[in-house]
Amino acid sequence: MRILKYLGKRIAVFIPLLFAIIFITFCLIRALPGNPAETIAGPNAYPEMIASLEHQMGLDKPVLEQFKDYMVGLFHGNMGYSWFTSNNVTTDLAIRFPATLELITMSILFAVIIGVFFAICKAYKPTGIISRVATVYGMLAGAFADFWLGLMLVFILFVKLKVVPSPIGRLDLFVTAPQHITGMYLIDSLLTGNMVAFADSFKHIFLPALTLGLVHGAAFMKMTSSTMGEIIESDYIHHARSLGLPKKKIIGHTFRNTVPAVVMTVGSTYSFLLGGAVLIENVFAWGGLGQYVTTALANKDYAALQGFIIVATLFSLVLYLIIDLIMMAVDPRIDY
Amino acid sequence: MKDAIYLLKKERSARVGLIIITIVIMLGLLAPIIAPYDPVTADGRASRLAPCAEHLFGTDSNGMDIFSRCIYAIRIDVVIGVVGTMLSLLIGIPLGLVAGYYEGFIGELILRLADLLQAFPAFILAMALVAATGQDVKNIIYVIAFLNSPIYIRYVRAEVISLKQRSYIEACHAAGMSDVNIMFRQLLPNSLRPAMIQASINIGGAILLTAGLSFIGAGVPVPTPEWGSMISTGANMIITGQWWAAFFPGISIGITVLGFALTADFIRLYLNPERK
Repeated sequence: MRILKYLGKRIAVFIPLLFAIIFITFCLIRALPGNPAETIAGPNAYPEMIASLEHQMGLDKPVLEQFKDYMVGLFHGNMGYSWFTSNNVTTDLAIRFPATLELITMSILFAVIIGVFFAICKAYKPTGIISRVATVYGMLAGAFADFWLGLMLVFILFVKLKVVPSPIGRLDLFVTAPQHITGMYLIDSLLTGNMVAFADSFKHIFLPALTLGLVHGAAFMKMTSSTMGEIIESDYIHHARSLGLPKKKIIGHTFRNTVPAVVMTVGSTYSFLLGGAVLIENVFAWGGLGQYVTTALANKDYAALQGFIIVATLFSLVLYLIIDLIMMAVDPRIDY
Repeated sequence: MKDAIYLLKKERSARVGLIIITIVIMLGLLAPIIAPYDPVTADGRASRLAPCAEHLFGTDSNGMDIFSRCIYAIRIDVVIGVVGTMLSLLIGIPLGLVAGYYEGFIGELILRLADLLQAFPAFILAMALVAATGQDVKNIIYVIAFLNSPIYIRYVRAEVISLKQRSYIEACHAAGMSDVNIMFRQLLPNSLRPAMIQASINIGGAILLTAGLSFIGAGVPVPTPEWGSMISTGANMIITGQWWAAFFPGISIGITVLGFALTADFIRLYLNPERK
């Protein structure tokens, strides 16, 4: 019951926010310089042709009326058509969203493994060699650009050592995509038992996900490390230590209490990466949401841009709801 | 001042940070003297040269000297980072003060606007705003200032809310000081610490954002020497094994951003009220 009330409260705040975001995006997109009708008609088009295109695209109406039309469509579940892929925006997004989701999920997995590993090493042996590596890593990870790191890893692992496939797309050309279930190749190929596709898509996702994982792992390390530092000083850990519990056990108990902090960081990293993986998607020609929105912006593809913003906002709402629910499960002290 | 020197002697990372920033700024200021070549002159006969004595960092596919371009790029990237962050402090601090001091309707309104701004995917919004205002250095600075201001609003507001309960502020009220005076004379100097630490980190963030925008062609237009667009030129040469065109600008970004991050540590220690 409490959860229902909590959900209601969240959604009540969210709906006006979503509406405002849709409206602002709508106006902002139309403030982009250049006329999409002219772009589509090409450089040699007659003015009459541009005018008729504008009429077809609804661009000759006042902005508020266009907004009204768009909202009416939206309530009927129609996000409009992309002028450049000539698909329904919903279809376009449905293809690309799983690609990005798969990439950022793998990245976060890497980031958590890297970050938590270093944090535990730091807590276990603060002066050890791994702890020193961790400190240097923590300083450097946030300083270097992710797209640059990706390129350098491509150079070392693909160009020089040839241990990963070429950084183009999610599968090799001659490997057929697994049957569409979730749209995430790793999961689909596992579900259908298609091991060839699984191995190949893992090889392709490895490098971009590792890049993002290395860049964002530092945040997990710092978060886990500082929470552990606080908890190690707490009374019950002192008590455990005075009872003579082995160090491993103590670290284990300490770590259990950092899980909420890790979960929170997972949440913020997810919502950041949905739009923030754009550059890595470009480096690896990933064909996800990030690349879609970049092309849409360059082409002034109004409906596509608008659709992306709606999906991103909804995604972060759902995400934070899930995170809050997980938090309640992992940290019984939390009560909404 | 004495404190600062003492801290610098004691903290190695703070020392390294300040040294990096000093060197980077000097290089940027002295670029015309240090850079051996003009940063935007392409020499077709000297394209794709590996690092050598004449071209320390090699040349890119257009035959421009990468070392010279990396040095000149400081004038673009660091200026965008520093000026953009200063401007966002100028927007964020007063709004944060007001939002903290008048917690009612005005404070709530400012906070909700900050929420709204932060609800957008940041990189995409930056791309759209730069595209809408036109791709040049000035507009990128404005966009960065605008997008980063919510952070300072929040930090300053949080400090003000806790400070204004203190008795010295009550004393100011009792003495009949005006609200403006209390806000800017009494609350402002005491509420800046978190914002100043964040500012140094954000300068690095702004440099990374600028480079990212330019990397996909949505930031500083070519051939202006800028680290991100240089990496983008170099990206096409990676597959053929010519790593230097992308490597050096990326290293320049990394060192500079690291310098500002370490300086943030220094600021945190220096402004720590418990230090003495």
